[in-house]
Amino acid sequence: MNGKLNKKLLFVLGPVTGVVMFIAVVMIATFLTNREYKEPYRAPAAVVDPTPRTAGLADERAAADAAAKATPYVEAEYRAFPIVGSRVAIWAIAQLHLLFAAFVLAVPIFAFIIEAIGYKTKDPRYDKLAHEFTKLLSVSFSLTATFGAFLTFMLIALYPKFTNYLMSVFSPTFLPYVLLFFLEAAFLYTYYYGWGKFHPLVHLGLGLGLNVVGTAIMLIANSWLTFMMSPRGVSDTGAVISVMDAVYNFTWMPINVHRVIANVAFGGSVAAAYAAFKFLQAETDEERAHYDWMGYIGNFVAILAFLPLPFAGYWLAKEIYAFSQTLGLTMMGGAFSWLFIIQAVLIGNLFLAANYYLWLGMGRVEGAQPLQKFIKYLLIAIALCFMVWATPRSIIATVSEVRAMGGGTHPILGFLGVMSAKNTAVNILILTTFMSFLLYRRTGKSAVVPWAKIGHAAQLTIFAGVALFVIFLGIYGYFVEATVRIGLSVPQVSSVLFAMVSITLIDVFLFRGAKKTGEVRWGKIPAVSQYVLIFIAVTFTWLMGLMGYVRSGLRQHWHVYGVIRDNSVDAFTPTLGFATQVVSWTVLAFFALIGFVFWITSLHDRPEHQSATAPERVPHTGGPIPATGMARHQLGGVSGTHQEPPS
Amino acid sequence: MMIPHTIRIGGLVLASTAFYAYVGQMVPQKEVLPPQETVIRADLSTAEMATVGRQIMEGKGLCLTCHTIGKSGALRFPDLDGVASRAATRQPGLSDVEYFAQSMYAPDSFIVPGFNPGMPTINKPPIGLTDQEILCVMAALQSLGGTPSVTLATSHAYYTPPGGTPAGAAPPTDPGQKLPLLAPGNKSTTAPQTPPPPAKKAEE
Repeated sequence: MNGKLNKKLLFVLGPVTGVVMFIAVVMIATFLTNREYKEPYRAPAAVVDPTPRTAGLADERAAADAAAKATPYVEAEYRAFPIVGSRVAIWAIAQLHLLFAAFVLAVPIFAFIIEAIGYKTKDPRYDKLAHEFTKLLSVSFSLTATFGAFLTFMLIALYPKFTNYLMSVFSPTFLPYVLLFFLEAAFLYTYYYGWGKFHPLVHLGLGLGLNVVGTAIMLIANSWLTFMMSPRGVSDTGAVISVMDAVYNFTWMPINVHRVIANVAFGGSVAAAYAAFKFLQAETDEERAHYDWMGYIGNFVAILAFLPLPFAGYWLAKEIYAFSQTLGLTMMGGAFSWLFIIQAVLIGNLFLAANYYLWLGMGRVEGAQPLQKFIKYLLIAIALCFMVWATPRSIIATVSEVRAMGGGTHPILGFLGVMSAKNTAVNILILTTFMSFLLYRRTGKSAVVPWAKIGHAAQLTIFAGVALFVIFLGIYGYFVEATVRIGLSVPQVSSVLFAMVSITLIDVFLFRGAKKTGEVRWGKIPAVSQYVLIFIAVTFTWLMGLMGYVRSGLRQHWHVYGVIRDNSVDAFTPTLGFATQVVSWTVLAFFALIGFVFWITSLHDRPEHQSATAPERVPHTGGPIPATGMARHQLGGVSGTHQEPPS
Repeated sequence: MMIPHTIRIGGLVLASTAFYAYVGQMVPQKEVLPPQETVIRADLSTAEMATVGRQIMEGKGLCLTCHTIGKSGALRFPDLDGVASRAATRQPGLSDVEYFAQSMYAPDSFIVPGFNPGMPTINKPPIGLTDQEILCVMAALQSLGGTPSVTLATSHAYYTPPGGTPAGAAPPTDPGQKLPLLAPGNKSTTAPQTPPPPAKKAEE
């Protein structure tokens, strides 16, 4: 009955809308025509007799034309953007472009890896998961390109002289960039629409091509922005000496590495947020199980990439110092030093949230209780490290407080504000989070290899040994010269990496053929865990915005550091409060847009529109259902019977 | 009443970003303006030069971003307290003025033992002090543990002022002497710069 009524309504609604629109157009046209300027009516004169006024007006027009023709062309250096100003406009657009670009570059990386795992293990659920991740790409790719074009036009319009300079330096890179962009579009759409249409190896080849081309595009774009920070290959006045040197400048390769890793972490977190969004909207246990697993994998990817990120950050900072100590000290000890306290809050939150999610996840595994008792110790370690990392070197204090402390630094806490303490804290944080992963990994399992006891002991020894070594180096750093102290971060980082690799290797062999002590019940996780995933995605996005600001803002009053000076009204470095507001607004805009991407993507799973004559959709009552988002070629095959995702 | 998940998610995103923006308001707020051009009058006395030089050190010169004055312990860069007395004897054959000049025009020529190279070339971008500004900075450095003696007519291996005597000759005796070629308020470098001598190998 309702269906028929709806159909009739729809039938009437079309013509009615057409008529209303037609009337509206006529009314608008009439309104505009009525207000058009018209010469007042004059009765025709018998003889046309030019008056002095007419002649004067004609002379004025001629003079104005002549003056306009004689005016030489002057290239504008800057143009103003209304209300927010040019810098904030460029800032917001560039950040949105980079966030979408990061997502578009990251998702194919882990989609390809997951698809490859599916091919290798012959488990179609991995293939399905990779396809589901890929679904997020096509709309995001369009948004990336749109914001890229927007950014280019805004740069040309608002910073014409500087953009012209940058284009003159990097003109040889533009054609390859455009060609690669075409190639990326070709690979991406073939990869997405060709899912299940080709031999798996051919499809994997497409995924590989997509990743290679995407990375190459990123490398080119990175050369432009890193050149602005650490220019090379140009004279003191900016004349180009070597384009290759301009591309391969001091910070190019560290930024490349840092961005690939950060993109994967960010992409994983956004994909996990998508899974959380779907989990919360899920109506069946099967859907919840699927999206719980997807969220877990997305978060796993994010945290796995996040762990080595501080090491890539060290390298980048080292290269910044190598290029210019002034730039390095402006970053860590000057105008931007307090920014790293904000960064510490963000990273601390990320570690806390990631660990909390893992601990909540333990609850979905039967027999996890013996391992859950360790959580409190991990939490204490994380909280302590967080506190050390967030302790500033100098404290905002009143005059009397400064007098009482005997200076701007606190007599005790001041020791925690230096790099020795902070490096130690972050390394212990990484080790602790790694331990959370290990604990999660071994829930519901028991090692049965004959050397199990030795294996456990070896893992514990490595972990404790490395933790003590890192702390020892941190303390030792207080007693040595700067030249020695700076170098101590290398053994700290190396030892943590060693611990992570060696303990994982032992773990893999230790739990080979392990006895199952409990089943993983996917979907049986508190809903709060899904909000944690969304919080992680917001925090990652905000962190990317903040670090993008410091990388760019570090140049201060230079467009190209030391070469092209910023003479605009925005040449000053804004306060951190202002910067964080811009970052926040941009993050909100990103999430509004990514929400749109999620919505568009979820349309894929909506039932197709059915005519009123067709039988009404019967709600699913527990029988085998096609799994959500299953590739069309798999429907009716594997998806007919729901399977629990692998642990 | 059950709040829809979409609203909850929106609320979480809003609250998280608002929290981080709030954290951003809690740290010290400082707007950093581009460095002001220092006006070096031609009739500056040595004492005035030291004052101007100190302002340059704290501002445009960015010296105190890295260097400290009166601090000890594990430092990243040499402390400048008492640098005037050390400068005269730091390198054999170099007076304090020549040592200061070398430190600023060719900073990698000599590295103070225990420290890493890192000093930028001060007369080039991004710092880009003029030769007169550098002379003022030298006066300020001489005042740290010594008595300033440089004038705007002082020559050194990297700079000869207009109408001044080349490096090696005795400096003018009258510290307040006016420079004929520098009009009051002139802030630009008017003399061609002497090319720096080839860099010597760092001691470390």
